[in-house]
Amino acid sequence: MSSTEQGTSSAAPAEPTTAPESAAAPEVPESFYYVHGKDKVVHKVSAGALQHSALIHGMISNLGYTEEQAKANPFPFENIDGDILQMVVDWCNQHKGKPTPPEDTNLPKQKEKLFDLVLAVNYLEIKELLTYCCKQVAMMVKGKSPEEIREIWMIPTDAEDEAAEKEAKKRAGKEAAGETAAAAGDAK
Amino acid sequence: MPFPILHTPFVVLSEIINILEPNEIVTASFCSKNMRRLLKNHYQRRKPLEWKLIMIDYAYCGQIDIETSEDDDRITVIAEQPYRFERTTLESKIAFNTEFLELYFEDHEMGIKMIVEYVTDLFNIGVYGLDIDRNGVWAIDWISEWQEKMLARFEFYKNSEIRWNGDATIDYVLRNARASDYYNVEDVVSNTFQFDGKLGPMKQLYIPSEGQWVTLNNLINFNANHIVVRDSRLSVPGLYAFIRHWSAGGSPQLTFLKLEFEDVTDFENFEEQLEVVETDVVGDYRLRDRDQDYHFDNGCSIQRNDGVKAVIEFDIFHFVMMVFL
Repeated sequence: MSSTEQGTSSAAPAEPTTAPESAAAPEVPESFYYVHGKDKVVHKVSAGALQHSALIHGMISNLGYTEEQAKANPFPFENIDGDILQMVVDWCNQHKGKPTPPEDTNLPKQKEKLFDLVLAVNYLEIKELLTYCCKQVAMMVKGKSPEEIREIWMIPTDAEDEAAEKEAKKRAGKEAAGETAAAAGDAK
Repeated sequence: MPFPILHTPFVVLSEIINILEPNEIVTASFCSKNMRRLLKNHYQRRKPLEWKLIMIDYAYCGQIDIETSEDDDRITVIAEQPYRFERTTLESKIAFNTEFLELYFEDHEMGIKMIVEYVTDLFNIGVYGLDIDRNGVWAIDWISEWQEKMLARFEFYKNSEIRWNGDATIDYVLRNARASDYYNVEDVVSNTFQFDGKLGPMKQLYIPSEGQWVTLNNLINFNANHIVVRDSRLSVPGLYAFIRHWSAGGSPQLTFLKLEFEDVTDFENFEEQLEVVETDVVGDYRLRDRDQDYHFDNGCSIQRNDGVKAVIEFDIFHFVMMVFL
């Protein structure tokens, strides 16, 4: 369970609070790490939960952090929105030390966040969660016609692609002309 | 809520494409030229080698099916429909039936060729099998010219709407259609129909009905491991002759032969005609190259001159011979 879920989130990275773990505490104390997203809210996550992320797991193995150092230096993921990071942390906690089922009912339900979630999960290299997300994206077009797929997946029409290409060429031409003019100016 | 798929990283896009079924891929490829190019590039990099593409021209309709796994489940990815049933003046029309696209063409053959070319190009795979009836015979020559690789599977079906004899067509099919793994021929022929050509090599030859035309010479000339003929009119002396041919080393590729007789057939004095090694063979025997057993209730074994054994079982309705190489 992340600290934010326990109502102990903090905008300051130095003061994260530990969430109470289940009654049957492990004999060997579990190590915890800290991550924050764009909103700077720090989430305390166990090493077991973080195993899902190949990126974070690699960082931990390479850096050889102690828990104290980890507390003082949360992993910053400035490219991930706070609510998305929360979803990811929740998912990692829910699946900590468990074999991942073929179908996941614990996936975040907010479809409008799916794109950002996919980007975050891909960045954090959480393979199983990425597969679930991709399944959800694939399911969106089941039984749909090309026109419907185009809308759902925001695929531009040929005409829109052509117009965009023309526009890009025009822009590139202008930029090239601008550079030439600037170079000529410099030469004078 | 829309999902901007084209803005996802390459790895994610590849993963999504891998999850989609082939019919969904084909439908998505009709979204735009750019989408089609992207999907095509995906399959250029990752050729779906295990997929089997089947071209179908049956009952005046064309269709492309793909088998994605070993369980032989087929997914129709696109179909061609005759345009004349449509009351529109448009040159061609596209419809979607919740599973796959249906394209309407005035020229039936051209329509099927187009959908085959489209799907094979998209997935970067060739045609694995051809399923046709009498109206689809044109596809035999087209396929053999169009792709170098021999078909693995060929199925020629009887069209229930065509009741007249198809002697000339069947003769043409048997002489020209080739397949390496599975060959199925079924159509109505006259009582005088004869085929004097050769078939094979192939793994399996299946004549599910109307097999009256299969003679002793045909059986000797069929180069197949596994042969099943239904409605056979092969005589008992003919069968004895075939067994002697096999005993002398003929048809060495044969592992299984099953004939189901059109009429009641009496195998009188069988043991006197052939040298039976063992009688009362009972049990399940595994068919070679297949995950299936054949059960013998009352078989007897014979031996080839080189020592190879075969179990034979017969009654008034059928004859089975299984070779143990």
